[in-house]
Amino acid sequence: MYSLSAKQLSSLVKEGKISAVEVTRYFLKRAEAIDPSVKAFLTLFPEKALAKAHAIDEKIKQGKSVGKLAGVPVAIKDNIHIESELTTCASKFLADYKAPFSATAVRRIEEEDGILLGKTNLDEFAMGSSTETSAFFETRNPWNLSCTPGGSSGGSAAAVASRIAPLSIGSDTGGSIRQPASFCGTFGFKPTYGRISRYGLVAFGSSFDQIGPFANYAEDIALMMDVLAGHCPLDSTSIADSKEDFSASLSQGVENMTIGVPRNLLKELDPSLIDLFNNAINEYVKMGVKVVEIDIPLIKYSIPLYYILAIAEASTNLARFDGILFSKRSTKAKTLKEVYEYSKEEGFGKEVKRRILLGTYVLSAGHQDAYYKKAQKVRRLLIEDFKRIFQTCDAVVLPTVPSAAFELGAIKNPLEMYLQDIYTIFANLAGLPAISMPIGLDKNQKPFGLQISSAQMQDAKVLRLSAALEQQLKLQTCPPLFAKEFS
Amino acid sequence: MNDWEAVIGLEIHVQLNTKSKLFSSAPNQFGHEPNVNISFADTGQPGALPVINKAAIEKAVLFGLAINAHIPEECHFDRKSYFYPDSPRNFQITQFDEPIIVGGSVAVEIDGEEKVFGIHHAHLEDDAGMLKHFSQFAGVDYNRAGVALVEIVSLPCIHTAKEAALFATEIRSIMQYIDASDCNMEEGSLRIDANVSVRKKGETTLRTKTEIKNMNSFANMELAIDAEILRQIDLYQQGKTVTSGTYRFDLATGATILMRKKETADDYRYFPEPDLPPLFLDKNWIAKLKENLPELPRERKKRYIEKLGLSHYSASLLICDKPLGDIFEKGLSQAKNPVSFCNWLTVEFIGRIKNSRKSVEEFGLDILAIASLSNMVDDKIVTGKVAKQIADLMVENPGKTPEKILEENPAFAAITDCSAIETIVDDVLKKNPESVSDFLNGKEKAFNFLVGQVMKVCQGSAPADIVRDLVRKKISS
Repeated sequence: MYSLSAKQLSSLVKEGKISAVEVTRYFLKRAEAIDPSVKAFLTLFPEKALAKAHAIDEKIKQGKSVGKLAGVPVAIKDNIHIESELTTCASKFLADYKAPFSATAVRRIEEEDGILLGKTNLDEFAMGSSTETSAFFETRNPWNLSCTPGGSSGGSAAAVASRIAPLSIGSDTGGSIRQPASFCGTFGFKPTYGRISRYGLVAFGSSFDQIGPFANYAEDIALMMDVLAGHCPLDSTSIADSKEDFSASLSQGVENMTIGVPRNLLKELDPSLIDLFNNAINEYVKMGVKVVEIDIPLIKYSIPLYYILAIAEASTNLARFDGILFSKRSTKAKTLKEVYEYSKEEGFGKEVKRRILLGTYVLSAGHQDAYYKKAQKVRRLLIEDFKRIFQTCDAVVLPTVPSAAFELGAIKNPLEMYLQDIYTIFANLAGLPAISMPIGLDKNQKPFGLQISSAQMQDAKVLRLSAALEQQLKLQTCPPLFAKEFS
Repeated sequence: MNDWEAVIGLEIHVQLNTKSKLFSSAPNQFGHEPNVNISFADTGQPGALPVINKAAIEKAVLFGLAINAHIPEECHFDRKSYFYPDSPRNFQITQFDEPIIVGGSVAVEIDGEEKVFGIHHAHLEDDAGMLKHFSQFAGVDYNRAGVALVEIVSLPCIHTAKEAALFATEIRSIMQYIDASDCNMEEGSLRIDANVSVRKKGETTLRTKTEIKNMNSFANMELAIDAEILRQIDLYQQGKTVTSGTYRFDLATGATILMRKKETADDYRYFPEPDLPPLFLDKNWIAKLKENLPELPRERKKRYIEKLGLSHYSASLLICDKPLGDIFEKGLSQAKNPVSFCNWLTVEFIGRIKNSRKSVEEFGLDILAIASLSNMVDDKIVTGKVAKQIADLMVENPGKTPEKILEENPAFAAITDCSAIETIVDDVLKKNPESVSDFLNGKEKAFNFLVGQVMKVCQGSAPADIVRDLVRKKISS
């Protein structure tokens, strides 16, 4: 059952060939068997999941219609709210914080009869690229347990890759969905900014953050987009409904499309991976896709732009965690100043503190012109650059990451860690849809991902291109350790 | 002393009377139990997002139109960062460099002369919660957090405390006239900070300014600004300098008291609020609002003076207090003589109920009854003197009409029958022969005494002019 797509599973459930309870029990069992070694989950909801599955089965029995995700377990990154459950953001500061409401994305999953399986691990407040900054524990890569699953949505990627859950959602501020998808050999999609409501996502960089799905099949990414995308009145940056049918658009073919490859950026890529990348491009050529070389000079500023703009926003978004209202107050604090100082000192991890300090610095008087304002200008130029490129190209194709998954603990220098996002940040800077999809394994049997991105609102085009390549490559994408039944 | 001038700029915070808050659907209500009128966004819950309240935008634009300001087609919101427990997100959502209202001015009348004061800009922002201190701890009430504020920043073009008070009063009137706020200083829906500096007349640059906060009435504001001006002049005259700081006014001592020094400029780290896209205002929508702008205080004042013939003083009195002006408007539908009706309302009745600290309506007085009393005097149904007695009874028995009072007291009716008055005059002259002869010997006082005697017998219900005529005629004949 683990090798079925979410779409296949929900069809079987709808047709009554298998019950939602059976599906849920099956994946809960996999969680029990696999998660102690992968450690993808911070919380599991076995009772609630089974209760929801029972309710779905009951509906089917009564002949009532059920939703698009009928009976399919979905894992949720632990910075997205499920009402009355913990949202820890993998931070000690929020270890006891129960969400007072559900995120719009979560509500939509529930409305389509998806089953909330649990909350997944992440880098603290989604700040990191390895899930190592989680205040609770490290998550491991299902392909190689000594490696990182990537981050920050490492738990959601690992849960789907190890087939504990057929679907999960994460959040992507600079690559936090796509990089772990590449490391774990799954599909991970960051939609156009504003496509999926951010209501109920604990903000990191508000103008960068976007919720998106993980799955093992392109059709499941499309299925999730059919469920998640749409205007939300509670998020002012949410864009108007486009009435796109993502699933239906997958089969429309890619012949005569044009993809742009910024070849000069590939010098950052681990040379042993270049063949995998070129092979994927060749497959497109075989399908009748035109490949052109493009140049996006401003991409080289991605990392500095990101580490100015996103953390500037983050420094204010995280200001509310001060020990007063909903974050853990230091027991040592006696005065107001001590409440702020000790609570933050005890509550935030090192990376989060670093980013808050940097963000505060780039916004402060005397530095704002040199950093924040200049970066905003370059961001606008980059957006214009992409507009120009998408006048002639349907998509831009790049590796998702410069390397395959690294060993846990291998990257100690934060600046080196920041380079993980070198190929992914542009999509957040320009609000573009971008997917990472598996295109093969490196010589160490670690997965590697291709990133396809397109103009704003061209989410369906991105999915079409990934589905076409998926069909062409016909890869076995389940990590060998977990490509089996657990009883 | 006379060679000094003060330079004053005001920052006026007005709470808009929208049903819900600026960025959430929580009710905007005053005086409830703590933390009942709150939503996830108001308390800055992680994951909650602001959604702009269109009604607040509309009220702000109305104000901009009322002061003839420029309303840019595009404006945006910014985050202003500072840590304080009443600010749940630790940043305020405000407008820093592209506010909704740019420029504009208000005209006020000072000692019979019109003066125009410029406004730098006005912007929208959300209010903070309120700290409450208890014996062992402090609590935060977030009911006010997120309420829409318009902050109006004047140019530093005000030179006296009186001008400042009149300027602020005019702003309040405008806000009330466009139904944007009740502007109640005691409840905090109108809050004023004054920036004050002084300089030698003729100087063109500004000297160090101080800020005065927490002035809870216009009267106190005037006192506070005057005290601060004197304090600063005094310092300079002693050869000292003024240091920048925030002051409050102590009513008991009549002095401004330093709350905190400002050694460095605060760094609020403003940057555009990423959760709210820029706000685009449709020109046609603005034009439509402009067309439907209600009568503004200066327009109403002009009408009162030019069309109704009210004095400047009376007209000002009525426009400064919007609810009073509104009931005056209501009474106008009945009153035959606006000038005397205004007098009955603003002098006689307001004077009688002043100590209750209630408005005419709160007191239970019917404005139409007041209009009708004014008409009764005009129609000589009662004399002015008796009408005052009727007014006393109306205040003693709110709800009782002057007609009813007259019916219960037939003696109040004016004696319009001359023969009845003649009899009384004859009687008085007969009883006071000395006064009659004194008058005939040229003592005018004696005449007044005789008229008074007649009025006394009539208990005020004889029209004084008729009595005077009769007395003069009878003595002369």
